[in-house]
Amino acid sequence: MSAIPNKVVDLLVSEIFRKNNVNIENAKSKLTDEQKQAIRDLVDELKSQVDTFVKESSSSTKE
Amino acid sequence: MAEKKWRALDHCDDHCRNNDADVEQDAVQKQVTKQISDEWIIVRDSECVEVTTTDTQIALSLQLAIQAAIVAVISITIGDNEQGKNVAQDLKQFMKTKQSNRQKTIIEGSKNVKVKTTDTDISVNIQALLQILVTVVAKLDVL
Repeated sequence: MSAIPNKVVDLLVSEIFRKNNVNIENAKSKLTDEQKQAIRDLVDELKSQVDTFVKESSSSTKE
Repeated sequence: MAEKKWRALDHCDDHCRNNDADVEQDAVQKQVTKQISDEWIIVRDSECVEVTTTDTQIALSLQLAIQAAIVAVISITIGDNEQGKNVAQDLKQFMKTKQSNRQKTIIEGSKNVKVKTTDTDISVNIQALLQILVTVVAKLDVL
């Protein structure tokens, strides 16, 4: 259920990182385990909210 | 002779000209997400009509939440410096969406009608934003 093909988004994000000389390894090392967990939770939460929203607004005629 | 009719704007004319306060406009523009949803549903001379419509408010707050999450992740990993700002700026560029959705539904002289309107644009937008967030996070090995 992707709005844009994943490959396109991937390319876009990679390109933005490359263009700005982002050192991914370096960026990764800045994250503590707690931060990673917090981000994971946040993403999961947002994902489920988006799923619910999309489902609700696209479900066909329901009583 | 009728007295001159009082009008609120009259006293701006002469004496009290104390409205010269400088108005500074904040030049910094944050994520521009202009989403205009203009929906009209007119029900006329009908009965037993059931209308369901998309809740744009939920959509908008979801959108803001995802955008904020992207900026937060960038800020933690790349830092609150020039580089981080540029990356966030470039991503924002992509997130900048302006769209308007206008719908007009008129139900007239009807009975037992069910109407459901959907704002597809907004759903697609939110899904796209979420994809960007997920991709950024995946690249940083968080997922």
